This record gives sequence, C-alpha cells and structure tokens, in this order.
Amino acid sequence: MRFWNGDNEQMDRTDLEQLQLEGLQSTLNRAYKNVPFYREQFDSLGLHPSVIASVEDIARLPFTTRVDLGDNYPYGLFAVPLRDIVRISSSAGTTVKPVVVGYTKSDLKARYTLTARFLTAGGVVDTDVVQICLNPGLSNWGRALKEGAENIGASVMPMSHMSTWKQLMAMQDYRTSVLLTTPSYAMHILGAMKSMDMESHSLALKAILVVGEVLTEDSRHVLESAFHVDVTSGYGPSDVMGPGIAFECHEKKGLHVSEDHFVVEIVRPENGEPLPPGEIGEVVLTTLTARAFPLIRFRTGDLACAMEESCPCGRSLARMSQITGRTGEVLTIRGVKVHPVQIERILKGAREDKSPRFLLHLYKENYLDMVEIWLQMGDNIFSDEVKMVENTLRRLRQRIFQTLGLDVTIKLMEPSTLDQYAVPTGGVIDDR
Amino acid sequence: MLKIKNLHAYYGRIKALDNVSLHVRAGEIVCLIGANGAGKTTILNTISGLIPRAQGDIFLKEIKINGLPPEKVVAAGISQVPEGRQIFGPLTVLENLELGAYLRFKKKEKEPIQKDLEWVFELFPRLQERVKQIAGTLSGGEQQMLAIGRALMARPKLLLLDEPSMGLAPLVVKDIMNTVSALRDSGVTILMVEQNARASLKISDRGYVLETGRIVLQGSSDDLLNDNDVKRAYLGKDYKTFWEGRDLA
Repeated sequence: MRFWNGDNEQMDRTDLEQLQLEGLQSTLNRAYKNVPFYREQFDSLGLHPSVIASVEDIARLPFTTRVDLGDNYPYGLFAVPLRDIVRISSSAGTTVKPVVVGYTKSDLKARYTLTARFLTAGGVVDTDVVQICLNPGLSNWGRALKEGAENIGASVMPMSHMSTWKQLMAMQDYRTSVLLTTPSYAMHILGAMKSMDMESHSLALKAILVVGEVLTEDSRHVLESAFHVDVTSGYGPSDVMGPGIAFECHEKKGLHVSEDHFVVEIVRPENGEPLPPGEIGEVVLTTLTARAFPLIRFRTGDLACAMEESCPCGRSLARMSQITGRTGEVLTIRGVKVHPVQIERILKGAREDKSPRFLLHLYKENYLDMVEIWLQMGDNIFSDEVKMVENTLRRLRQRIFQTLGLDVTIKLMEPSTLDQYAVPTGGVIDDR
Repeated sequence: MLKIKNLHAYYGRIKALDNVSLHVRAGEIVCLIGANGAGKTTILNTISGLIPRAQGDIFLKEIKINGLPPEKVVAAGISQVPEGRQIFGPLTVLENLELGAYLRFKKKEKEPIQKDLEWVFELFPRLQERVKQIAGTLSGGEQQMLAIGRALMARPKLLLLDEPSMGLAPLVVKDIMNTVSALRDSGVTILMVEQNARASLKISDRGYVLETGRIVLQGSSDDLLNDNDVKRAYLGKDYKTFWEGRDLA
C-alpha cells in the first residue's frame, strides 16, 4: 500500500471534517475580504461567511460558473496581490475571454502534493521513468504532472511535440516504465504498435496513468491486457485546476477526492440541489487551501456520483465515480474543454462573416478524438482559385490550433447538405 | 486533543470572535498570531471559561467543556498561564506552585504533587534555587517561569500560554521559547498566543492567523513563516505598496 502523505490520506473522518470546516471558513473569510466578486455575491444574498457552521452549510452559498471566470478576466478573482503570484497559467476557457489562474508559491507546493498523491496511488516510485504524452491544450497539466513526478523523484520526460512513432521509439529505448497520457492517446499508441508489429513485451511499461477524458472500463480492460500494466485515472477540470483533485487507487473503484484541499458536492444540474450518493449529478468544487485563486462552489460541468462505502485501500478520502458525461454545451475533446461558441468566434473573425453556418463533427480515428468543422460554403470564402480557398481554410485551422490547442479539419459543405442534419448552427454531431 | 467549532464571543455588544474553528492535536504546539485586539486572548479566555457569554462548541478529548466554570475547566485538564504572569507577588515561589495544585491538594494527592514539584524544578532549576524567595522580587523571565510552573502543577493535558514573551528581553524570550519547546517534548500539549509571531512560529508545529475575530489563514508554521501576507502583517517585512492599492485591511 503506497501513500504520498499517508497522514492526510488516511485521516480519521471526524478530524478530516474539522480540517475541512477550518479550511472552508478561512477560505470564505479571505475571499470575502479580498475578492470583490465574492463579496458582492454574498452581500446580494444577505450572507456573511460566518453563517457557515458546518461543511454541509456550503449549500447555502452561491455557485461560481465559467461565465463568472470570463467576466472577471484577467485578475478579478485573485485573492492576493499580483506580486505574491509566482505563476500565471492561462487556458482557452469556454467564453470570449481565456481563463487566467494564478498560483502563489504555497499553491504550487499544494499542487505538487496533489499530483504526487495521484501518481503514487497509480504506482509511480522514485526509480520510475515517466513519459508524459499530452496534447498542447493540456500543457498546464503536463507541467503539473511533471512537477508531481519530479517531486516523487522519478525520471521525467516532459511532454513534447514528437510524433507517435517517435514517442514509441522513446518509450522503447528509454525504458519508460510509466506512461502519463489521455485514454484515447493510449489507445492510439496501442493501434500504432499493432500497425508497426511492435510487441508490448518490448516495452518496460508497468503502469499507465490517464487524465483528461473519461476512462471507460472497456478501454481500461483493453489497455491493461494489451500492455500487461495497471491503468488508473486522475480527475480535475482541465481549465481551472490540476489533474490530481481526485484519483484512483489500485482498487480501481472510483476516484478518491483530496478532501483536505477540496470540498466536492454533487448537485442536480437543473436546479443546483444536492444529490445523495449514487445519484449522478454535476460535480461542484470548492477550494480549501488555495491562496491565489479560491473557488467557491465552482460548477465543473462534469457529471458523476458520490460513493458511500469506504475503500479497502485504507484511504479515508471519500470517493466519487468516474466522470460519466458533461452538462450543457461544453465539450471535452482530447481532454480539452471546448465550447462551440469559441469556434464560431474564430470563424467570424477570420472571414468577416457575421453568421457563419457550421456544424462540429466529432469522431474517432485510431482511438483519437477528431474534429471536423463542416462549414457552409459562401461568397466570402468562394473563389475561382483553389489556392485562395485553401489558404483561407489553412488560416482558420491555424487560428483554432492557436486558441484551443486542437488540430481540426475543415470541410466546405453545400447548404443543402447541412440542412440534412436538423441541428442549428454550432451544433454537434458526436460520432465518438 | 482540543477541537473548537464555530466559536462566537462578545464583550458587551462588541463581537470579539466571529465563527472561529480550530484544533490542537496531542503533542502539538499551536500558536495563534494576529494584531492587538484580533481576538487571540479572547479565544484562550473562552476555552478556560473566563468568558461565559460565548456560543459554539469546545471539546477536550471529545468531551464538551464550554459553559463550564473555570475551576471545572482546570479539573478537566486545561491550565492557562495568563497574560502578564499574574503570579501572587507577596507569596513565595513554593507557595505559588502549591497553589497551582490546589484542586489536587483537596483530593489529597500529596505524593504525586511532590513528584510534580520535582518535575517543575527540573524544568526550571532557577525556581528551585529561589524556592523561598518572595515571588514579587523575581525577574520578569523568572516570573514567567513561575507562572508556567504554577499552571503545570495542575497536571494539565493542555496548557494555554498567553503572551509568554511579553515585556521580556530578547535573550530571555529565547529562554522561555526553549522551555516551551522542552515542555512539549515532555508530553504537554500547548496552545499559545503570541505577539512575537516569528519567535512563536519557530517553535510551534502549526499556526492560525486571526484578524478582527476571524481566522483568515492556517497552516504549518513553516508555511506561515514563508507566507507573504504573514510576513507583511506580522513579521515586519516588505511594507511596499500593494498591487493596485489593494490593501489587506
């Protein structure tokens, strides 16, 4: 049985509750004092942090949404002066504005702890060679995982832009023992190995740890039996937090929540009412230790349920199920959170087209999420010269890659073809 | 050992503590830091039953002790060393110490009291040298030792220390802090209030930062010593203007 910091991971439940209550109360006091957004939210409801007498009382507080993050761009939700911030990490977000998250030195220290917990639970030790393969949209996580693995003392190959073939070569030649990636990229690597007639016993892999996407039991089974390794997953909303908020242990029965740093609630997406264990609802997160960027009841948009039974692994940290889906329109593509509006905005900007008509077609190729934008042909894109059209499309693809870190293909379509799909513009055809 | 939940306390109509929760584990030194009037001493006085008008829960080893009169709190295992020592000036050192064991004396625990007296003298050899001296004539540091010794004579599980370094010369402060550290090593759990944030954080395991009756930060002493907010407010470092004029008040 391996723990990174066993004292906290195995803490007595009543002690943990006390720790959570203290963390919640001081977080609220700091947020109320230092962040005008939270103060106004509380005041408008006639609430004061001192009404919180138990962790359950958190249900009385208002939610924070991704729209609030966008509205307070860039530093509006920071609870410390900028000079105390040592890292500013920005992700595309799901509104007009990117999401900017700040970290103080102590926040980064806490993040190392969380990622190290996830990695340790997945079997990573100081003698491991850890290879990180994530796409550019998850580069914040790539850094967090690198720091966590270095903290454990493992030898880390940070994420890079190598092709799958090169990644595989490195994996074989460098004797990589742990692969950190998304479930779909792991499947993709497996496919590539088959096409190269590469045997899994030529690799030194002992574990695969996945983040960013849902790990289905089917793909876990396929990966485990093909690579002869253990596959465990970690959870976090990729745009605002690190990858180790919750993690699987070797029992592989749900994700242990790092409750000493977060309060997790499961609520009914429609009305925000708390749901009992076993019922699927939206994951809502509240930070208990964050100094720079406290989040109070942040609606992640991820769906899961709380689990009640204790885990045989010895951790007292409560568990939640794997993510079963998403609420609303925010899509998860290769682990990256994408809102169709973001793509619409890029299409508008690049083509001076007030109302581009498009659909998003999502499908899998070699187990990887692929995005095809079906764009309606129009005068402003049509030209006699094929080269001109190609140039326009290439520019659009570049813009999308720069903003979201996603490779997409764009197909021009006749209006009548798009009409066949009874979906309004910006709609999603998900064939994954 | 000690668990406090949602403590609210008032002086007349003024709210001195606003929803304070904290805990002290067995064998720990925990310190409360904060400006004058932040509510540090109020927390200690509420625990020891000196402020009866308080709401919230205080548990000592899972037993609820709030609302108990001070003498019952002492009997439950909590002794307070008050701010400014408050020793009995006209009495001798020995008499002061014996008064600390008053509750036990009534229970006729003569032998154990004698043993504890020896233990206190072992901790503070200076007190043994001056056992017959009138307490009022001791130096400030010695008086502080006597005050701590007197509290220990009640055989507390938890010792509450209020400003042990107050009014003492820097060298003596160091002495007192070393003694507090040694006390913990001998098995006494300590909750300490200190204006001298640096000195107290250096010897304690964890700390809580109080501002106007509320806890705004807690953590390991190392983290707090390195925290920019704490450095600015309590360690006298880095007073330059804050970003966009936002201050910490």
